[in-house]
Amino acid sequence: MSPNHDLFGELAAAYALGSLDTDDLSRFQAHLAAGCVECERLLAGYGEALVGPADDLRRPPPSRVKRDLMARVGRRPRSAASRFWPGLRWAASVAVAAGLLASVVATYVSGRYEARLGLMAREAAALREEVGQQRLALALLQDPATQVVPLAGLEPSPRARGRMIWNEQEGGVFVTADLPPAPPEKAYELWAIVGTTPLPAGMFTVDAEGKGSLRVAPLTGAPRVDRFAVTLEPAQGVPSPTGPMYLASK
Amino acid sequence: MPPDGLELIRRMAGGDRDAFSAFYDAYAPLAFGLIRRILRSETEAEEVLQELFWEIWQSADAYDPKRGSPEAWVVVRARSRGIDRVRSMRRRGEMPTADPQEPGRDPAVRAEERGVIRGVLAELPPNQREVIELAYFHGLTQAEISERLRQPLGTVKTRMRLGMEKLRSLMGSLR
Repeated sequence: MSPNHDLFGELAAAYALGSLDTDDLSRFQAHLAAGCVECERLLAGYGEALVGPADDLRRPPPSRVKRDLMARVGRRPRSAASRFWPGLRWAASVAVAAGLLASVVATYVSGRYEARLGLMAREAAALREEVGQQRLALALLQDPATQVVPLAGLEPSPRARGRMIWNEQEGGVFVTADLPPAPPEKAYELWAIVGTTPLPAGMFTVDAEGKGSLRVAPLTGAPRVDRFAVTLEPAQGVPSPTGPMYLASK
Repeated sequence: MPPDGLELIRRMAGGDRDAFSAFYDAYAPLAFGLIRRILRSETEAEEVLQELFWEIWQSADAYDPKRGSPEAWVVVRARSRGIDRVRSMRRRGEMPTADPQEPGRDPAVRAEERGVIRGVLAELPPNQREVIELAYFHGLTQAEISERLRQPLGTVKTRMRLGMEKLRSLMGSLR
């Protein structure tokens, strides 16, 4: 390894641990995006190194975890197996919904790659996240229990709009457009409102065009959510809303 | 004879539930112990474990053997999901601080944390082990570790690199 490349070796060790701070993370992702075979090899080795401490902590989980998981797998097979599903009518409606969703999401992920490698790396990471969210959204739409909840813009930004694809058991994906970029030290927080109690559902920011998305975990106990709303809050998030409301469902 | 993880993942990618069941039996203990240690709560760890293996089932076709073994694939994802949950709980005020000295909430986990350092981590020099543990189990960045230990950032980076090299070497000699 050359002396100049040795710096990236140091970054690779911390990257494998998920411990890089923002600037170093951007620099290393740009380096990886340039196709460094040596760093790919280092990362594979460091990945194996991470197995050691976990191996020393091996512990069988309670049997109920597998029982619940296998029941879930039985209810919703992987897409590779879904071609065996009966019911062409349902399949057709899923295909239409999936097509519509893909077209909506595509507008959120469209855009042109910048020439600079750092930006390319950040965009690539964002796109991977978007693709993951698309896959989740498509999987959710195959479940009849999934709802698509529209959110309308309120006084601070009346043109803003959002959609929540929500399944009480599985969680969901939130997408939004035309929200103003959050000021420094601020971010948007999504709330799932159960009765009159707002529960924090995640933080997100938007790009220069006001577009953003968020993957949302299912709520503990899977309560029925009555409304969703978005407020502007301190970037680290707050346990209950304090800032102005930008979006809300009916 | 232990199951072939690569073959099980290949079958899972084709929608084979029996392969998934066997993969879970082989790898869930590896993931569960780690997640439990990160979250310091049995109940939270069970939830995260189920989400982790659901995700593994859904994304088996994305596994690339060139990027690491099935064990590394599971461990990297388990760490990531565990630390995501910790950060989410901190944001929600359910885990008030990131202080590694704070006792775990689960009495059984707390008792284990009082125990001696075991296994490969015990092979590391204490100053390297400390840095690796803060990143590995607590999800702290290098700057956060530097602040917590009151050590220069460069020192933290060097210790982390040396610690990871040592772990890599140890794992190589064990396999």
